[in-house]
Amino acid sequence: MSDGGRESEREPEKPARQKRAGGDELARAAARLAVAQISESQGFQTFQHSALETLSDVAVRYIYEIGKTANFYANLSGRTECNVFDIIQGLEDLGLVQGFLGASDIEHCLANSGTVKELVQYVDEAEKIPFAYSLPQFPVAKDRKLTPSFLQIGEEPPGEHIPAWLPAFPDPSTYAPSSSRIERSIEPPTSKIDQESHNRKVERSLLNLHQRLACSGLEGPSLVNHGDATKAKQAVGSNPFLAAPLQFGEKEVSPVLLPAKVKLLNEAIMRNPSMENHGRDNHISVLEALAPDIEAMESRLLDSEEKEKKVLLNSRPAVQFKIGIGRKSLGTMQDLSLQKKSFEVTSPWFGRENEKDDKKMRAEKILKESMGHTQELGHL
Amino acid sequence: MNHNQQPGDGTHEDDAALSDFLASLMDYTPTIPDELVEHYLAKSGFQCPDVRLIRLVAVATQKFVAEVATDALQQCKARQAAVVKDKRDKQQKDKRLILTMEDLSRALREHGVNVKHQEYFADSPSTGMDPASRDE
Repeated sequence: MSDGGRESEREPEKPARQKRAGGDELARAAARLAVAQISESQGFQTFQHSALETLSDVAVRYIYEIGKTANFYANLSGRTECNVFDIIQGLEDLGLVQGFLGASDIEHCLANSGTVKELVQYVDEAEKIPFAYSLPQFPVAKDRKLTPSFLQIGEEPPGEHIPAWLPAFPDPSTYAPSSSRIERSIEPPTSKIDQESHNRKVERSLLNLHQRLACSGLEGPSLVNHGDATKAKQAVGSNPFLAAPLQFGEKEVSPVLLPAKVKLLNEAIMRNPSMENHGRDNHISVLEALAPDIEAMESRLLDSEEKEKKVLLNSRPAVQFKIGIGRKSLGTMQDLSLQKKSFEVTSPWFGRENEKDDKKMRAEKILKESMGHTQELGHL
Repeated sequence: MNHNQQPGDGTHEDDAALSDFLASLMDYTPTIPDELVEHYLAKSGFQCPDVRLIRLVAVATQKFVAEVATDALQQCKARQAAVVKDKRDKQQKDKRLILTMEDLSRALREHGVNVKHQEYFADSPSTGMDPASRDE
């Protein structure tokens, strides 16, 4: 075997080889070695890497095939353990490609099989080449240390429903700190998610729900494994998203200041109580109601540059809810836009929100803010 | 256990021969180590506590590999004999017998194993050159 020749070719191939490493590496390497030794005894002096690997792979598969066939024949005879005759039959099956003496005999004693005779011949003739290394028994089976049962420990299982022969629960110290770890891992995502919800308040409820699910998923293992009620409460208490929601009036919150535009809208709504807020007619009726107001504001507020952005915020026509017939709404919107600067219609996004009044107001606010953002971007 | 229920001395003789052979296997150490064979046999579902059977499988595999190697060697020598017409340098180099994929695939084809491999991978400067003249 020439190892000197191999070294030069080894470097470029090494990364590729490492990627292919499976659990079988030791066995494959040993097979490669054995096959190389056999080939050398036949007269080869050097090998191509790929050729050696192919041949060792074929040899491994040969062993595998013998084992499979022998097992098959044993099962066929109603046994689970294989016999010498099972192996001989396996060898005959595999040797049918090349052929052996007596292959065409219909009934013959297996001990007399041509394959066995060839094997005997081979053993007599061939020189003994022992394997170059001494392999240990592999794969090594680890001794599993089973967790002792309640009975073995002498503990009382917590709860009547748990029989004493089941394995005992692990020490609470092994899982108690994990809740704080989970909390800490949640914190960066919460700040990030807060920022997102600030930008998109409409989707805030969705995000919170999603996070609640993620939190409960993280907490799941620690809650399920141990039926400890105190631990569960502890976990719930430490995670603000799993806490029970506050009742109305429990916590003092600052009152919400509605911007001027919304007040106008509210007034318009109050003025026109017959206005319908549901369905497709909504859009046109709101605009009609607000048209005089818009014109009034427009005349007032176009002076100062400072207030320009606010002007945009205030003098924009109101929400576009539930635009079921898209073209109609866009047409009307563009009529108004001719009076002012053009803006993007982002309405369909908020269309779903318009079932009740308070939601409508919230959506108005959101729309204004988002429009403000798009306008600012437009300026840039 | 006998698959054949033939009574008579013939069977006994065959059995005796077989058991003698298996006993002789214990003296003969096959090149393929027992642990390796055991590992792959276990993978295939083969269950047997008898060491002699494992040796039997090892010897059979060794015989198979030796046969394939012999056939490949013959292919290699045949190729060398055809190339002798070139300069002396190449003749001297060709004294080294190299197990190449081409010879191996031809030898394996006779044993029922189809091995097709790439002609070349264009990833090194010596791509596509005659394998015998490559530095190994």
